[in-house]
Amino acid sequence: MTGLKPQIRHPLTVAIGALIAAAIVGLGLAATAGAGPVEVIDALVEGTLGSRFAIGTSLNTAAVLMLVAAGFTVAYRAGLVNVGGEGQLCLGGIAATAVGVSLPAGLPSPLALTAILIAATVAGAAWASIAAWLRVHRGTSEIITTLLLNFIGLALVVLMVQEPSLLRQPMTSSETLPQSEALPAAAHLPLLGLHKNPATIAIVLAVILVAAIGIMLRHTAAGLRLRAVGLSGSASARLGVPVDRTAFVGLTAAGGFSGLAGGLLVTTAPFILADGFSSGFGFSGLVVGLLARGSMTAVAAVSLLFGFLVSGGINLQLAAGVPASTITVVQSVLIIFIAGAAWWTTTKPKRPQSLSAGTQLADDHTKEVSA
Amino acid sequence: MTITADHVVPDTTTALLAMDGVGKTFGTVRALDAVTLSVKPGSVHCILGENGAGKSTLCNSIYGTVSPDTGRMRLAGAEYRPRNPSDALRAGVAMVHQHFSLIPTMTVADNLLLGRDGFRPPRRRLSTDLARIADSYGLTVDAKATVGDLTVGARQRVEIVKALLRDPQLILLDEPTAVLDPTEIDALIATCAALVADGKSVVLITHKLGEVARAADEATVLRAGTVVGGGRLADVPLSALLELMLGDTEPLERARTPRRSTNADTGAALRVDGIGVTRSDGSVALADVGLSIAGGEIVGIAGVEGNGQSELIEVLSGALPPTNGTVSIDGADLTGASPAQRTGAGLAVIPEDRHAEGMIAELSIAENIAMPRLADYRRWGLLDRARMRTDAAKAIAEYKIRASSPDAPIGSLSGGNQQKVVLARELSTAGLRVVVAAQPTRGLDAGAVGFVLDRLRAAADDGAAVLVTSSEIDELIAVCDRIVVAYRGTLTGSVMTDSPTAATDVGILMTGVCA
Repeated sequence: MTGLKPQIRHPLTVAIGALIAAAIVGLGLAATAGAGPVEVIDALVEGTLGSRFAIGTSLNTAAVLMLVAAGFTVAYRAGLVNVGGEGQLCLGGIAATAVGVSLPAGLPSPLALTAILIAATVAGAAWASIAAWLRVHRGTSEIITTLLLNFIGLALVVLMVQEPSLLRQPMTSSETLPQSEALPAAAHLPLLGLHKNPATIAIVLAVILVAAIGIMLRHTAAGLRLRAVGLSGSASARLGVPVDRTAFVGLTAAGGFSGLAGGLLVTTAPFILADGFSSGFGFSGLVVGLLARGSMTAVAAVSLLFGFLVSGGINLQLAAGVPASTITVVQSVLIIFIAGAAWWTTTKPKRPQSLSAGTQLADDHTKEVSA
Repeated sequence: MTITADHVVPDTTTALLAMDGVGKTFGTVRALDAVTLSVKPGSVHCILGENGAGKSTLCNSIYGTVSPDTGRMRLAGAEYRPRNPSDALRAGVAMVHQHFSLIPTMTVADNLLLGRDGFRPPRRRLSTDLARIADSYGLTVDAKATVGDLTVGARQRVEIVKALLRDPQLILLDEPTAVLDPTEIDALIATCAALVADGKSVVLITHKLGEVARAADEATVLRAGTVVGGGRLADVPLSALLELMLGDTEPLERARTPRRSTNADTGAALRVDGIGVTRSDGSVALADVGLSIAGGEIVGIAGVEGNGQSELIEVLSGALPPTNGTVSIDGADLTGASPAQRTGAGLAVIPEDRHAEGMIAELSIAENIAMPRLADYRRWGLLDRARMRTDAAKAIAEYKIRASSPDAPIGSLSGGNQQKVVLARELSTAGLRVVVAAQPTRGLDAGAVGFVLDRLRAAADDGAAVLVTSSEIDELIAVCDRIVVAYRGTLTGSVMTDSPTAATDVGILMTGVCA
């Protein structure tokens, strides 16, 4: 009995439980749109694994989600919740486009891509650093500031692609769409080279980064400091950890990863910046981060799942006539279940191995009672 | 609840408030147990006790915020069982809380009118009431002033006036002097006297004996939730109250080996000069505190809690920047240094609040021990966890820590073993020069207490300057070379612990009689 409990409380168990519950809700919703469970699952599988094209698109989406979620996890270790993935991603996309369209012709592709992706990372980090600065120096809740910065970021994209003096493509007729010029070929992310498969090296890059962050969090001093700051600011300060700097860097890094994700989006087909270029990946990435609960393996796994779900959702509408937004509802239901399950994983039995658990608890109570 | 204010008629023969066997349990802790006491009409009754003795629970029981699970109370002879503060107020019991409940952006008048029934605030009646209160008790408040602009003393006056507007018979003051400066305390004591002269009773909760001597007619001492004594101040000397408050623990053995006499010309390892700390609300926590400890010397700070010890420790550990003054180790100024720089200078700190500052419960023993010197464990950019574990295993063996492994979360250990981990980490600070130990033995069992004290002695024998604060005088006498007493933000006296009258001398200083 006692041997089973830790497993029930394991993040993975909770995530799977929440997924099953959300799937049931999703199937119920689809049923109200007139599609039976078998039909829905068929359409989903068709849209995700049914063609090479579908698989490739799913992998590209997964790469973006992975990066946003990895950033979220880094900040979360320091006790900060980065809700601003979307805004940071927008800024990354803007910076990538600005650099991409102004690159000198004839620049080799690796150099061009490096410049673009660095610009995207820096822009995303800078955007998050606004919230990080406010948090550290003014004590403003980063949940509020990062959330609100999303809307500014989204509006900036619209401004950039609407305004000819900024990033809008040259107006040749009244039908010129409000979007940026396409990035030159040197700025296109190389494909993985699979037959008829649009998957780019983004997924490779994302997996490498996720692995690197996993190692950083578990096996470096920086990772331990991040954790210490997240668990107890006052004790960390006493023990010589630069609490403010660690928190600032944690949240800024989260922005950097989201910014990089934005850069990857514009360097993937159709290679343009337009309103809605991100399709809410910043928010989906946040969901992935919440679901993964700090485990980088889970970040990779859940990102892949979500990547496939998003592609599947599009086919769901085409094949089964179920609105694609059902997938969004399923994602939202997931968040609610995960949040509801939070007490389950975080309220561990108090000091399970304590040799004198009774007296220890008594001590704590005395402290609460004393005034 | 059927009692109304009309029923509460002061009666000089029976007690105004009588508590009989009142008890209250929170979780597994008996916060109050069989408390029996009576408050006479027209008197100031002090409830004395250390932090956690149950004073506030007692007060909250009378005011209706806590409902006792055993015993009964009578107010002016009638059964009294308040279910909430409204019941208490209707019955004629008012309370001024330790933390003020005024809205700083509103005026005094608006604050006083808050919570009044009715659609239109009775402003005219308020001004006549204020005039009456100013008249009878000398309590004047500026009704038009904004609360945020007032001093702490003035805010407390507003709180007391707010309580008096209900025309109570019994006024509960919870730690009213904690935030006041000496002149404000004098004014408060004068107010208490005026209330008593008007036939009202005051219950004053405090842990400061000096005030009791000046304000109270009677005192009741609580220790661990039970009444351990008390009586009329005329009959019970202050020193007896102090003894009751701190309890008589078994006298600890003096250092087994006579401690090396300290060399005066080695110079001070730790020097504190003219430290002053003003709290954000303007009250003074520390005033011109000076202290100098030579290497190899152990100095204790005795004193009832709340006299500035905690603030001094915070200034030393770097958690609280002092308003003025300097802190130096071996002549190097560390007043504005970060905790990491202090550790680098050889300062070890055993914090008062182990859970908040001494350790990170979720991290392992090895991680907790290595935290201040992670840079030493870096190998190819990664943490050398194997070495962290070996070092922690050594500490576990050396300090006899009962733990399953170095990887066990420190939160899974018992309090004594957690404290040993903190001690092991701090005393292994490279180039140890100064040890600051705040209440290092609080909550530990006798065996662990002896161990901690032995380790502090050993650190001093190795040449470190050691500063210990404790509310247990016997413990300080057992471990220290000399003891100074914290009283109202200053350090007074310097009692050598080898003097036979040391305990009495410290006790007298703690009452503030000589201050």
